[in-house]
Amino acid sequence: MISVAELIQGDRVPGNYFDYPSYVRGELEMGLLENRRGDRLLAVPDTLISALYEALAKETGQAARLVLFNCGKWWGKSFYTRFTEWLTEYYGMPVAEMEMQLFGLCLQECWRTHGWGRFELDMAHQERGFLVVKTRNSPYAKPLPKMNQPSCYLEAGVLASFFSRLAGRELTAVQIACESMGADRNEFVLGLPERLKPASAGVEEGLDREAIWSRLLG
Amino acid sequence: MNRELQDLIARAEERFLADGDLKLLESYVASIPERLATYRILRDRELTMVQAVADGASEALPGVAEADLKKALQGLLLVVRYCAMGILTDDENLLKQRLLGWLEQVSGPDTKKANEVIYKLFNQQVRQHLSEGQMNLLQPFITTAQVTLIY
Repeated sequence: MISVAELIQGDRVPGNYFDYPSYVRGELEMGLLENRRGDRLLAVPDTLISALYEALAKETGQAARLVLFNCGKWWGKSFYTRFTEWLTEYYGMPVAEMEMQLFGLCLQECWRTHGWGRFELDMAHQERGFLVVKTRNSPYAKPLPKMNQPSCYLEAGVLASFFSRLAGRELTAVQIACESMGADRNEFVLGLPERLKPASAGVEEGLDREAIWSRLLG
Repeated sequence: MNRELQDLIARAEERFLADGDLKLLESYVASIPERLATYRILRDRELTMVQAVADGASEALPGVAEADLKKALQGLLLVVRYCAMGILTDDENLLKQRLLGWLEQVSGPDTKKANEVIYKLFNQQVRQHLSEGQMNLLQPFITTAQVTLIY
């Protein structure tokens, strides 16, 4: 016997936490953007991201990619904490008890609502130890100059850190396709650092995504 | 509020409303008492109607897992709430743009099967609680939900 009253939390029926009109709130007069929980949101113009890339390249040269990756890892760590807090509070259950489908959808909606583009989690190679994240219309790829290898190091760091926390193991992320190189999407492979060495080497050699996948799965 | 009225309001500085525009507004204003009454019924009898659906669905779908049934019922609760708000504000897009896409993605194949029975039972319920005029306000929303979540 199902009790419908028990499906309602207080007076609320949880739907899509990241539904844009409900999630983003603003006080134009105060110049404030907040999410539905009252946490501050920050609007970042493309120019700032471009400037960040350029300044880091000038100041740190080749190390810029590592700096961005590590910044992404810090960001991913805090993002995971906030994300799981939001979901736990809203859906009334710990993330560990949530269906993976709902968790993935929330992440997809969260990505889109924050203006980070379209997010897709592909679990097709999960049994081989790889998770794949595909993003499209990424604001972090758009301002990149024309590159000869995938260069969304900030996003790679965010994803590595976020999924490491989710999996409870230290994972890394290697980007194997990039919108800045004319690809229709950014593709990140996540897995144990040891297992992803062939992917990193393939990227350094300038291989395309298909060739890198054959190395990983071969 | 419905799109046409929103557009008219947004263009206040451009021109006065023509008679045809005012008729649109008048017709909305005239429909408000019926909209309010429908909203109140859906609000006050939400639990009664959806509980009857839950009881009927549990009997009709013994093979469907309780978790899938609960998911489908939670979806129905959301649909009823968005329908109620859509009726009140005469906004048919509210349900479609804000909820149905999400519910479609959350639904698994078993939820779809459950929805088929659930919406059949829900339609029987609303016919018992709403007048014909109120049904006319609700029906377009429910049909949209059924088309998206079942077919």
